[in-house]
Amino acid sequence: MNLLNIELKKILPYSTFWVILILVFALIPAVFYGIGQIQIQGAPFDMKQMYRFPGVWNNLTYLASWFNLLIGMLLVILVCNEFSFKTFRQQVIDGQSKSDFVISKIMVMVIISLASTIYLFLIGMLFGLTTTSGNVSMFENIHYLGVYFIQAIGYMSVGFLLATIIRSTALSIIIFMLSILIESIIQIFVPAGIERFFPMEIIANLTPNPIYQSMMVQAQQMQNMQMNGQVTPPQMDMLSLGTTIMVASIYIMLFWGVTYFILTKKDIR
Amino acid sequence: MSEILSINNISKSYGKIHAVEQVSLSIHNGEVYGILGPNGSGKTTTLGIILDVLKADSGTFNWFGKAPDKFTRKKIGSLLETPNFYPYLSARQNLGIACKVKQVPESEIDRVLAIVNLTQRANSKFKTYSLGMKQRLALASALLGNPDVLVLDEPTNGLDPQGIAEVRTIIKDLVAQGKTIIMASHILDEVEKICSHVAVLKSGKLLTYGPIQAVLNKQEQVYVAAEDMGLLKAVLGQIDGVSGIKESSNKIYLMLAQGKDSAYLNKALFEKGIVVKELGVQKPDLEANFLELVK
Repeated sequence: MNLLNIELKKILPYSTFWVILILVFALIPAVFYGIGQIQIQGAPFDMKQMYRFPGVWNNLTYLASWFNLLIGMLLVILVCNEFSFKTFRQQVIDGQSKSDFVISKIMVMVIISLASTIYLFLIGMLFGLTTTSGNVSMFENIHYLGVYFIQAIGYMSVGFLLATIIRSTALSIIIFMLSILIESIIQIFVPAGIERFFPMEIIANLTPNPIYQSMMVQAQQMQNMQMNGQVTPPQMDMLSLGTTIMVASIYIMLFWGVTYFILTKKDIR
Repeated sequence: MSEILSINNISKSYGKIHAVEQVSLSIHNGEVYGILGPNGSGKTTTLGIILDVLKADSGTFNWFGKAPDKFTRKKIGSLLETPNFYPYLSARQNLGIACKVKQVPESEIDRVLAIVNLTQRANSKFKTYSLGMKQRLALASALLGNPDVLVLDEPTNGLDPQGIAEVRTIIKDLVAQGKTIIMASHILDEVEKICSHVAVLKSGKLLTYGPIQAVLNKQEQVYVAAEDMGLLKAVLGQIDGVSGIKESSNKIYLMLAQGKDSAYLNKALFEKGIVVKELGVQKPDLEANFLELVK
């Protein structure tokens, strides 16, 4: 608790932290609302359906997952600050251990993830309650909030590792943003099947694209209806959510371990 | 006297450069140990190793007779190289974090700010501080919890003459309180004024160490001249308590044993029939002694 107290003393007065967080918290509902307002000429459905229970949980967390990259960047900034201000070095001199540092940052990740998950819950309730009519289960897809929580921690853990390796704020942010691109380039060169297990892809897939999701359901239905196979359903090749959560959790713990290992091996300048 | 710090054969290199080579040192309770050496001689690297931010390639060190851990570091007040604080936080907020890390009560903040004369600026953001104020804040942070052992790396770095005098007064007060202080400096004058012991480093090697008088030859020299220099030199050799006779530029330089002064020398020479033409005491030239050491 002392460690968490120290972290809060560092972060709460830090204006950049609030600017990024408020930006994210303001943009998520604004963009979510905006997308729902799009009128598609001749479309057989109304975009506003996305606000409704229980689909809202999937739709909202998928949208918010894009902003999780910003949350990851926030952690990159917080960690790089400790290196560029040399305050990590000072705190080791004053009596912290390197594991204290890792544990402190994990606590920060959990707090930030928890705050944004709770915030998304409130946003989801607001949209759901104001638009849903009829008898539907409000919390049917509520587990998407849980995977969103893991995803936020996942992106921040990637940021933590990169910041620890690179140490410069600007370069770390650039590499963090490019890591998805770099990963997809590497994916071209690996045998098929393995590419689905790459870290950024796994973390991104925690919050599945709702359009993909419904296409998958449709494909399943088509398959069921057309048992004779006159229509070839679109091939959807995705890992199950359970597997994705498991692999993502392993990655997150691996990132923490590697970060700690790097800290113990390097001099603190 | 109990041993506070023992360093055993510590070495560290950066690539081909040997930053510290086979350094061993033992520092005891109440000693004020100056680590003296030119820039790049390995002073900060040595202190970085004993404070656990740099990893030695080989060798060990013990604090208070045990292997070091984070709890031993909490008991040591340290200022290593630059002052390290969060620029967007005030001095008070920064020290609040340091208090939590060292696990000392926050009531310490006002005490240490008063010592370094920063009470007036306690609520200003660190980034608005001048270099001298930053350095004083770093010293304040080292004083949190009133530790018995202090590690100070170039404590007067970046200060103006008045600031240097203030910081030296603070350190002298600490010395008077019987604290053990390990202080790195490249300023001989500073070490000479404050320290009881000194270790001289050059290119990562420990050249010499021990009580400061012994290492830097702090003894005063007496010079004397007479009409007949040959006779004077011969007679001087017979006088009790005279040593280190050297002749240069028509004067004879010598050292007198403890308790004997120039009047004693004058009287002894007169008794042997020599009237001195010139007699004086010369302050020791530490600078020259030091430069001789690190040559």
